[in-house]
Amino acid sequence: MGKFGFMVLFLLFFSHIQAEEIKLDPIVFPNAEVVNENTFRIPFKLIDHLMVVEAELFNKKGNFIIDTGSEQLILNQVHFPNLYLQHQSNVKTSGVLTTTNAYQKFLEEFKLQNLSLKNANAHVIDLSHIEKKKHMNLTGIIGYSVLKDYEIFIDLYLNQITLTKTDHYGNKLDQKVYLEKITDSIDFKLKKHTIVLKTFVGKEEMNFALDSGAEINQLNTRKSKKVLSYFKPGKRIVLTGAANEKAEVLAGKLYRVKLNDRIYFGPMNTIITNLAKLSEAFGTSIDGVLGYEFFLQKRTIVNYKKEKLYFINYPLKN
Amino acid sequence: MLFTIPNFAQKKDVKGYRIDGDEIVFTFDKEDYKNATHDEYGVLKDFEDLDIENVVVSGNFNNWSRRSWKMKKIDECHYELRKNIEDFTDDFMWEFKFLINHTYWAEPNENIANTTPATNEFGGYYNSSNLKFYTAVPKENGNTKFHLKGFQNAKEVVLSGSFTRWDEEYLQMKPTEDGWEISLDLQPGAYQYKFIVDGNWMEDPDNKKKTLNEFGGYNSVVEVKKWVTFKLEGYPNAEEVILTGSFNNWNENSYQMQKSEYGWKIQLYLAGGKHHYKYIIDGDWTIDPENPVLEYDGRGNINCVKMVK
Repeated sequence: MGKFGFMVLFLLFFSHIQAEEIKLDPIVFPNAEVVNENTFRIPFKLIDHLMVVEAELFNKKGNFIIDTGSEQLILNQVHFPNLYLQHQSNVKTSGVLTTTNAYQKFLEEFKLQNLSLKNANAHVIDLSHIEKKKHMNLTGIIGYSVLKDYEIFIDLYLNQITLTKTDHYGNKLDQKVYLEKITDSIDFKLKKHTIVLKTFVGKEEMNFALDSGAEINQLNTRKSKKVLSYFKPGKRIVLTGAANEKAEVLAGKLYRVKLNDRIYFGPMNTIITNLAKLSEAFGTSIDGVLGYEFFLQKRTIVNYKKEKLYFINYPLKN
Repeated sequence: MLFTIPNFAQKKDVKGYRIDGDEIVFTFDKEDYKNATHDEYGVLKDFEDLDIENVVVSGNFNNWSRRSWKMKKIDECHYELRKNIEDFTDDFMWEFKFLINHTYWAEPNENIANTTPATNEFGGYYNSSNLKFYTAVPKENGNTKFHLKGFQNAKEVVLSGSFTRWDEEYLQMKPTEDGWEISLDLQPGAYQYKFIVDGNWMEDPDNKKKTLNEFGGYNSVVEVKKWVTFKLEGYPNAEEVILTGSFNNWNENSYQMQKSEYGWKIQLYLAGGKHHYKYIIDGDWTIDPENPVLEYDGRGNINCVKMVK
């Protein structure tokens, strides 16, 4: 027992096309707890409804958003102005981001302690609009390309994310990971990088994306006509985007959301909007997005390889 | 469209609410608002022309409800609504507006300090302003006191920190005999802060705790703690029960629990966040049988978890 003197290191090595290597300093998670060689826990803080982990890079403190809706590891160009820009690609992200042209970079090797992932992708994008809106420093976004090789426990009770390495089939490499009782589980479909959950709103079957980077749930206007009877509008709002485009959305509460007869949700803050662009970002057609409030109601473990979610109850006391 | 000439000499005040004990009192004063807007028709009325029948507080704390938080009429121009601070979750910033006659939004005038452009979840801006509302509010005898010695000649000293998302105007410190002071009530946790003395940012010179910030400088750090009770039921025949954990580096002697009517108990003043602990009952290390939240440590041992929020 006692304190852990360990640090979890993300080592990043960037390479040029000409095989000329740029070596980055390690990203250090100073607050991480190492549970065993395959498992560690990183505490996060909530900035509004974003889960943000603290990390150090180039001796500077910074923040990473944990975003299951993002395809890649993204680094904020504002903080990495000198990174070599290899070629442009269209990176699809969602939740905190709109679809953005980004410069894709290939990481030859992405190391986590003794574990390393070959050919993981990172992208360098200007994220200053999020920094401005949230009054926060944002180093980057940790997305699917990093998370997929782990089982991840997103815990809004202990405000931490537990990452444990899995094999090709999604079996945990170490069994001593969780002690709390897993009370339920459900299958999802992984479409591109997106967790798609068959969800019922009342009796209507919908396909919702599960996105830890979405601050509020969203519902598609086109397919939502039948489910509107379960939506209680609070306020009609007109949104004006950065390019001055206007869109009308309806904010309110969505009732009677359930995954099956055992796993159901209390009313959730939801906005109704046109998700055409969002479907594009998720790389698959979806009827809505479940975000922060999903995790607020369910302590959730995501296993990408098994395409399964597991749930742990919030404690009644303590 | 009405144009008003901003009065730059007048100091901006925090309007819309005040704190009274453990209550938040929403205060509406007709004079603070110049325009009324409508969701569908935009700017509609000069505020002076509006016959006020009722005023409702609507915000993200009540899902922008148009009816539920109706204010009490004090006189023709003033309305009030008292809410216990427990009615709010521990988010730091809330936004709200006053809704007149269930229909018109009251748009704040320029002399109110705590306005923010109304934004949507994607960072787009609504074409109106909301009032900002922090639960980190100045409170006499709050649990955290900030003091800056000297700088008596300064015109303005502001406390800015992670608790107000580094707002540069909101927490104005008050001059005292030997410096500046402000007291806040904060949830348990670690917060970073700085003082802004007439526009110049500085660390707290009397606080050695600081942390590197993203600009290569330092922020001062304050740790807000909370009294937490550990209870162990039963074991009436035990001679000694010790509480040990990450909070005292697993010391096996320092926290002796007291016998109580139900078993054993001890109160500790703990920092916000996650703590690991175990009981030592007459020499035997034991987990808390009442606590389902358990974690492995780095060596495969099982510890109980106490989350202080």
